[in-house]
Amino acid sequence: MALVALALAPLGLKNYGIYLLTLWCVYVMAGMGLNLTVGYAGQMSIGHAAFLGIGAYTAAILMKLGVPFGFVLPVAALNCFLVGLALGFPALRVQHHYLAFATLGFNVLVFLFIRNEEWLTGGTFGIAGIQRPKLFSFSLDSSLSFYYFVLVSTILLAFVLWWIVRSPWGRAFAALRDNPIRAESLGVNIMAYTLLAFAIGAAFAGIAGCYFTALVQFIEPGPFHVTTSLMMLLMVIVGGSGKFFGPMLGAAIVILLPEWLRFMKDWYLVVFGLSVVCLMVWLPGGLLSLQDRFFRKA
Amino acid sequence: MKRIALAMALAFGTQLAPAQQTVKMASLVELSGPGTTSGTNFRNGIDLAVKEINAAGGILGRKIVMETNDTQSNPAVAKALTVKAIDNDVYVVMGPVFSGSIIVSMAETRRAEVPNFTGGEAAAITLQGNPYVFRTSFSQATGMPKIANYIASGLKAKSVVVMFVNNDFGKGGRDQIIKEFGTRNIKVVADISTDPAQVDFSSPVLRAKQANADALFAYLNEEESARLLRELRKQGYDKPIVGETTIMGQKVIELAGDAANGVKGHVGLTIDAPIAAIRAFSAKYEREFKSKTDHNGIKGYTGMYVVKAVTEKIGKFDRKAFAAVMKNACFSAKQYPGVLMDLCFDDKGDIDRESFLVEVKNGQQVVVETLPPLTKR
Repeated sequence: MALVALALAPLGLKNYGIYLLTLWCVYVMAGMGLNLTVGYAGQMSIGHAAFLGIGAYTAAILMKLGVPFGFVLPVAALNCFLVGLALGFPALRVQHHYLAFATLGFNVLVFLFIRNEEWLTGGTFGIAGIQRPKLFSFSLDSSLSFYYFVLVSTILLAFVLWWIVRSPWGRAFAALRDNPIRAESLGVNIMAYTLLAFAIGAAFAGIAGCYFTALVQFIEPGPFHVTTSLMMLLMVIVGGSGKFFGPMLGAAIVILLPEWLRFMKDWYLVVFGLSVVCLMVWLPGGLLSLQDRFFRKA
Repeated sequence: MKRIALAMALAFGTQLAPAQQTVKMASLVELSGPGTTSGTNFRNGIDLAVKEINAAGGILGRKIVMETNDTQSNPAVAKALTVKAIDNDVYVVMGPVFSGSIIVSMAETRRAEVPNFTGGEAAAITLQGNPYVFRTSFSQATGMPKIANYIASGLKAKSVVVMFVNNDFGKGGRDQIIKEFGTRNIKVVADISTDPAQVDFSSPVLRAKQANADALFAYLNEEESARLLRELRKQGYDKPIVGETTIMGQKVIELAGDAANGVKGHVGLTIDAPIAAIRAFSAKYEREFKSKTDHNGIKGYTGMYVVKAVTEKIGKFDRKAFAAVMKNACFSAKQYPGVLMDLCFDDKGDIDRESFLVEVKNGQQVVVETLPPLTKR
């Protein structure tokens, strides 16, 4: 039902609505990765925008050199996976808020790198004039065709996540989140699985970064600041951390709700902020915990 | 049957009439995030002009319907809102003000062939051959040579400290002024980068003091400029402080208080210019919004009046013809009072007009010298 709705949704929308839906898809991809790290594996990360940025800049630099998108995508994912491993190895020795600060520091470092290394990233001026990819010989320049391309990619990535969380890896992630000592006593290598969850989450963000670059066709350091990491964490928590559809719902709230509230003029961000506060007070488990709450009451 | 036809004609007529009597435009401005001061003033200037134009009968008899949207100072949001404005079939897009946002969003207006006025000053905006983008203020490539001349000839400085905000606006200005200093044999003894929304300026100011240069050139956004000035005074910095436009802005003077006194520099537009039309605009703005505007308010106001002047020149609402007429067009304040000062556009969309060397004295911008336009026409 949801897939049919997403396929039909742009038909009644103008380019602006289609752009927002595409942006939603991009953040769903990144959110799914963060959900794997935070929700399934129980690691705190407020540096996910850094991986989004690494993916986006990898894509921008390679696409400007004329490298096909089909090659750019795995390179960006692998790049983020390896950086995720490299960061995770020292950072994952600490947990909870200590890990949060370690990832935050990493995000700041990446932000400073892309802002200051002008020879590679264009610095504050960014990289402009990025062309949309082609699917074989079919142009994806129109907003509608690009939306369907991103939607199909999001669905494929969702299947990959679905497979991971139901695989022995996924069960190991959940085990070390719920009780690491018990998981270790059952033979789960905590360090290896934590690293894996972190690196796979980073790779998801890298893939999202590629689509972000192709969507906006211009990148500069701004969208990869720590505030974006917090926004992505908000998506996961508002939707329902550790729940498969959590990031999808969360991204809808964070990306689409402020746009829908624009009719309130100067008050739209105030109302959005208050809505999130109320939601978190009422439903700390996120929107998808609504069902549990009603079932429990019943 | 005739009655039904008549009723239908009347019904459609009444529905169509308002659309035919109005023209849709969009202002996409920074109403939240780090660009709030610039965006709000720019928006207010536009709104004031729209109010006046509509009260006087609109443009070619059609009232302007202006839809304002907040870009959140975020280029990706600015791009989305530009797409929205194009979906709504607007005649002209006003804004964004921030250079980073317009560089992204103008690709959309170019694709849709919609004229787009911006408050951005980064040189790169008009270097991309976009025939639909027009400035409401000087490019850094225009403003920086003027201030470099002043530092070299007026202050006779041989060495300077350059302090800039590390975003596209500040970095672009920094690159431009360093180039200008190089051609005038002025040595840059310290090149200090600061962050957007930076709060603590004690370290950059300490570095500036230790550099012991003849002058400090500061190029930051408004709020950061005010914080910098307060810190400079707190640490007893006693060398000339010079800037380009933002550091002498009205909001900076309000926020920095006495610390702004003594700052000198070049401004493309100032409400304290010795020009009656600008003074009158400033008074109207203050009455309408209960606050003083900075140069951004003038940019929005004059930009709207340029839209009116061009449309009346071509005699129809035709976006392509609009862009064509804007090439090398000049508008005299005598013929088009809303533009406030005589101004010309070149074939790239850059603007040229008189500008001012000013000094802040007793919390007011005082014009020291009026500089002529770069090109005489």
